[in-house]
Formats: sequence, structure tokens, C-alpha cells
Amino acid sequence: MLRRTRVKLQDTVSSWILKLNQEQDVIEVTDIVKRYGSNTVLNHATFQIQTGQLTTILGPSGCGKSTMLRCMNRLERFDRGRLKIGDVEVSGTEDKKLTPAEEKELTRRLRERVGIIFQNFNLFPHLTALGNCMEAPMTVKGMQRKEAEDVARHYLHKVGLADKEEHYPAQLSGGQQQRVAIARALAMEPEVILFDEPTSALDPQLIQSVARMLRALDDLGKTLVVVSHDMNFARRISDQVIYFEGGHAVEAGTPQEVFGNPQKAETRAFMQSFQEDEPLADAQPNADKLQSNALETNLGTRDNLGQEE
Amino acid sequence: MMSQQTRRTALTLLLLLLFPVSTLAQSALQRVRQSGELRIGTDATYPPFESVEGNEFSGFDIDLGNAIARELGVKARFINASFDGIFPALQNGTFDAVMSSVTITPERSASMLFSDPYYDSGQLICVRRESEGINAPDDLKGKTVGVQINTTAQYDLEKREGVTVAKYNTIDLALLDLQNNRIDAVVGDAPVLKYMIFKSFRELKTVGHRFTDEKFGIAFAQGSEDLVREVNTALKKIKETGEYDQIHEKWFGEAAERAAEQEASKTKPKTVDFNLARRLLPLFLSGILLTAQLALISLALGLPIGLLLALMRVQSSRLIAAPAALYVEVVRGTPLLVQILFIYFVLPYFHIYIPAKTSGVIALTLNCAAYISEIFRAGILSIDVGQMEAARSLGMSYSQAMRRIILPQTFRRVVPPLTNEGIALLKDSSLVSVIGLTELARTGQELASRYAAPLTIWPMVAIFYLLLTFPLTRVAEYLERRWKTVTRS
Repeated sequence: MLRRTRVKLQDTVSSWILKLNQEQDVIEVTDIVKRYGSNTVLNHATFQIQTGQLTTILGPSGCGKSTMLRCMNRLERFDRGRLKIGDVEVSGTEDKKLTPAEEKELTRRLRERVGIIFQNFNLFPHLTALGNCMEAPMTVKGMQRKEAEDVARHYLHKVGLADKEEHYPAQLSGGQQQRVAIARALAMEPEVILFDEPTSALDPQLIQSVARMLRALDDLGKTLVVVSHDMNFARRISDQVIYFEGGHAVEAGTPQEVFGNPQKAETRAFMQSFQEDEPLADAQPNADKLQSNALETNLGTRDNLGQEE
Repeated sequence: MMSQQTRRTALTLLLLLLFPVSTLAQSALQRVRQSGELRIGTDATYPPFESVEGNEFSGFDIDLGNAIARELGVKARFINASFDGIFPALQNGTFDAVMSSVTITPERSASMLFSDPYYDSGQLICVRRESEGINAPDDLKGKTVGVQINTTAQYDLEKREGVTVAKYNTIDLALLDLQNNRIDAVVGDAPVLKYMIFKSFRELKTVGHRFTDEKFGIAFAQGSEDLVREVNTALKKIKETGEYDQIHEKWFGEAAERAAEQEASKTKPKTVDFNLARRLLPLFLSGILLTAQLALISLALGLPIGLLLALMRVQSSRLIAAPAALYVEVVRGTPLLVQILFIYFVLPYFHIYIPAKTSGVIALTLNCAAYISEIFRAGILSIDVGQMEAARSLGMSYSQAMRRIILPQTFRRVVPPLTNEGIALLKDSSLVSVIGLTELARTGQELASRYAAPLTIWPMVAIFYLLLTFPLTRVAEYLERRWKTVTRS
């Protein structure tokens, strides 16, 4: 029964991919190298992501996937290679020297297009949910308070937190905090949203609502890049899966391709180790079933990106 | 307040530094004549020679000083100064002369000028009423003896082998310690000891005779020869006309002693005298105001400077961070007392003259800024790096993120340590008394000596400090309450 649900899900997903494949690449990562001293974190990483796709970068911990994500928002700089997001092109620091002014301008343009949701959300604890979403539109875009409030309200409503506007982060649950973080990123209207391990800081029961939200964001036309080590989650939500190991993309393809018929030995080894862990992951089979069903039934309705937990 | 050791080392150092300054004082007489006033420095904690109540100076030195000024055709203005800072202040021109029961010694004559002697005094030994066996200086061997710091009594005893010298800021504290059985004897100027015993140390007595012959003189900075000449002429005239004898009789004569004795027998001295406390209450007002003023202004100026230093220190650019680090290192690593003395006494050497109160505010501000900057820095560093990353990822610039995200959270966290710093500053401000500022602690010191009532005065001082800290604590509590919702996260 579980299996059948998944197959059904995958069918749905593949039909979308067919549709999306016609679109252009929005993110191109070419030969990126990053070292911390003698430790090479990114080792000639190369991959492409198309507009509107939901891509999961999957891999064991320490494989460099989070660093890759941080490079895409310029929270980290890389030494060599090239990153292209839309019309913004970034080169490795060893390839091209930038003046501080150029660096500032480049970072500004990049961050205008790319938002990020951190693993632990990093909400501003001294501001309410509304304040969290208003801050950047006001300081960065120079919006008036009233206008920023409207924008913030709009997106908080979208993530289903209209009634939590005046709550401080400390008064919100983990899942609610994550949705504030999403609304905060959306308020800046980025084309690309990066998610760093969106499920790891949450209770397993919340995973389905995260999946639902990601799919809904995808439907808004956003390009999503999700870093995760959770194979089940990746299989469930992705248009494209990139398997990362040793600082580079080992294999990329649809979930069926990567999970069903992995081409590389590293990918197979990871899948195998994952299967050994399967009993553990199935420790809450009911929740899993529930999530799959809920995900399926919720794919069509998207007035709200999320629902009350 | 501070260790005597620190105080002494600092002063020795300063005196060395200041030595050449004396050449700056020129044509002292002209200056006095032109301004129409003779500024006399005095440590008014030494009745019956000099004491002060509110702004009213009184005592033998005061009457004599007024008479001398009158002879010079000018007015005398007395300036209160702590004895251990009085000579540096004379050297840098804060006053024209020092009349503060100063014994003429060869050491002092090497760095200052003295008038002709105006009073013959000598050291006397004082012990508890019941004690026996100490009658002469030789009996002090193996004993612990209290003196006022930097007095001839101290110098004399330090030359005697086997005597342990305990130094006190004021003579009444030495006598109190003697009364409390912690030391064996006190040595000081005979008339002062007698006055103090009469006034409130009835359990003490003087023994033997004056064992030194000391002459008090008026001290002047080097280069004031013309002024010294005029003062000597005036002094001579005052002695010839009999005015000197009148003043002497008023303060030390039989009549004065009888009057004192009579007054004393009427009102037995009490350890804690509530009537006295009530009477002296208003005299504390200006000291309290000055202390509050010094602390508040310094805190208000120190906060932004400290914040700026902290922001400099968290920069990755060494060019910006290093100067701030150096500043904190230097200021935090040197005693506040030395900083106060430096600004007030050493800067004039470079022709920078800053009035005492301003000097005090500057020293306290610069000092507390260093500590405050460390509090802010710790606060900034305690904010999770994710906060800066989140702000930057949304497109905010570094300064926007600092201003809107990091600092508001920092402020909430540093309220308790800042309150600590504010309270510490309030109490540290007592150190400015060395440059002659009569703040709360110094007021206490003066009144304790004047009324020989340390046990009444010092608890009052403590209570006033406590009351001063209350508003600070209240403000801190208010801020913490207001920000409570967000501190936990």
C-alpha cells in the first residue's frame, strides 16, 4: 500500500518534470572548488537547475551540500569555478579579483534573486512575526511602514499564520517559525529559494506539512533548491535529485532515475546504507502513511501554502 | 576606596613627572594682585587647624590665612584638597599657597618654597586610656602605630626601627582604629590629637611630651619668591600687632580648651549620634549632587563611546579593530586613580589645563567606556551568527543588519552587566576627591574629621550611595521587564 502510494506520487511528479523540462536553466554551477585550508569542501561541483524546478541536493553529512547552498547565496565565497543565477554571474575568488564595491554590488544583486531558509530558521527574536517579515522590505527596499506591513501580512497569510502576526518567535512552534521564515524570504520576492535541511529541526509529524508547503511554493513559480539527507523526503518532493558526495555532484536526475536506477557506485552505496536504516525510518509507519496520503490529497489545493498543524 | 600602596606609588610617579612644571609659575605676586585673591589650598579634615562645614571653612590656619590676605590687600579663597594630592595641585597652579598644617621639612623644601614658620608644633603619642608602658617614642618599638598618610609623623616613624606604621587617610580613622584595639598607638600633631580626644575619643589619652619640634609653614610653588616675601612681611606684621596671639588664643588658648572641655562634659560623645546626623544632613547635599552628576554624565558619555569601541573591535579589519583593542587594554590595565591624576596634573605640563570637574568627568568617561565596550562586545558576540547571516541573506548591508538586528538584541542582553557598570562607576567616582572635588565620600571624610564622628558619618555616606544606586536599578528593572517577551528564544 505504501509502495503503491509512492508510485502514484512519482507519476504525478514526472508529469510535471516533463512540463518543466522545456524551461531554461536558471542556476548553473560550473566546476566550483572551495577549500578551508587543506580541506577541500567543494571539489569541482557542477550541475544545472531549471526555472521553477524543485531540486533536492541529497548526500551524507559532510559532503559539502550545505556549503554549496551557502555559496549560492554568497554567505560563503568559493575559490574557483563559476556560479550563474539568472543574469548574475559569480566567479571564484582565485579566478577573478573583485573590488569591495564590485563585491558588494554582486552580492546585492545575487541576494535580490535568492532567498534562503536556514536549518534553524534564524528568526529575529526581538521582532514579531509581522516585524520579521517587514524588516527587510523596509530597510533594503526602502518601503514605507504601511506598505511593508501589507506585504508582510500578505505572505504571513499565504503561509497560514494570519492569526500569529503579533507573536514573537519564542511564542511559536518550530513549524510555525519555519513558516514565518518562509514568509520573510517571500516578502523580498526572490526567484530562487534555498532550503537548508528543512525537516531536520522539526518533529517527524511535521514533515508532510513541509513537503506540502514546498510543493505549493514550487507552484508559485519559484525555483527551489533543498538540501537534505532524508532520502524519503527527497523522493517525495523533488523534480530533480542531485546526489552529492565528496564535494561534488555525483549524479543528477529525476527521483526515479536516481533512486530507481543509480548509475554511480557512490550513489548505490548511499542508497543501500539508507535501506539498512529503513526500519528506523519506518518507526512511525502511520505517520508516514498519513503524510503520503495527505500530500497526495493536498497537492491540488493551494489557497494557503500551509495549514494549521 | 583604594589601596594606599596604589595611591602612594601613583603620587610618587606624578611628582617626578611634575617636577619641571614648577618653572611655569611666574610672578606669583603679580597674579595674586591682579586677580585680587589669594587661592589657598587646604585639606580641611584637620581641626582645629582647618575644617569645613558646607562651604564654611574654619580653624587657626583659616583665620591666619584671611589675615595675611588682608595685609596683601586681597581676599583669601580657600580651596579644599585631599592632602595626598595637595602638593601636585600647588605645583600645577591650582592654588597660590598651601596652608594645611604643613611641617617644614628639608625634603619638602627641596621641591617647594616655605614662608617663615607660623606655628610651633610637635608630634605626640596617643594611646588607649587603660594602656601602660608607652610613654616615649622608644617604647613604640615592636608596636603598630597609626598615622595620617604623608605626614611628618609617618616619615619620623618610618625611620625608627621595629615600628610598624599603619597609614590612614585622615587622623580620625587612625584614632578610631586605636580605640577599636587594632593598633597600639597613634602619632600626630599635638594640638590636633588633643582636639580629637576632647571631641569624641574619650577612651584615648596622650602620653609624654612632644618628641619632635616641628614648625608649620605656608607652602608655595617654586618661582613664587616675590609672593613669599610679601607673605613673610604680612606674617611679621600680624605677629607684631598682637593679632596672631588673638587667633592663637581663640583656637588653642586656655579659654578655648576650657570651653571645649565644658562643651564636651555637657554632651558625652556618642558612637552614633543621631542628632548630629540630622544636623549634618543638608551638608551632604552638594556632595550627593556632585557624585550623581559625575556618574550620570560619565555614564551618558561612556555608553556611546563604549558602543563605538565595541563595534570597532568586532570588525575583521585589523586597522579598525586594533586601536580599539589597544585603548581597552591600556585603560583597563591602569588604575582609575592614575588616570584621574594624569589628566589633572600631568596634562598641564603640556599646557593643557582642564578644570577639576571636567577632568573628573573625562577620566571617569574614558575609564568606563573601556569596560562598557567589553560589555557591548560580549553582547554582540553572544548573538548567534545566524542572525547576521539571516539579515544579510535578506539583502541588508552589514551596518543595516548591525543596527536593526544585532544591536537591538544586544541591548536587551547587556542591561544587567551595564547596570553593574553604572553602579561601580557611581562608587568609583569617589576617587576624584584626589583632585579636590568634594563629592560624597570626600564630604563624609571632611565631616567625620570635623566632628570627630566617623561612626556617625560613614554609615550616612553608605546610605546615600545606596540611595543613589536605586534609580539605576529601577531603570534596569523596567527595561528588563519591557523586553522580557523576547529574551527567551
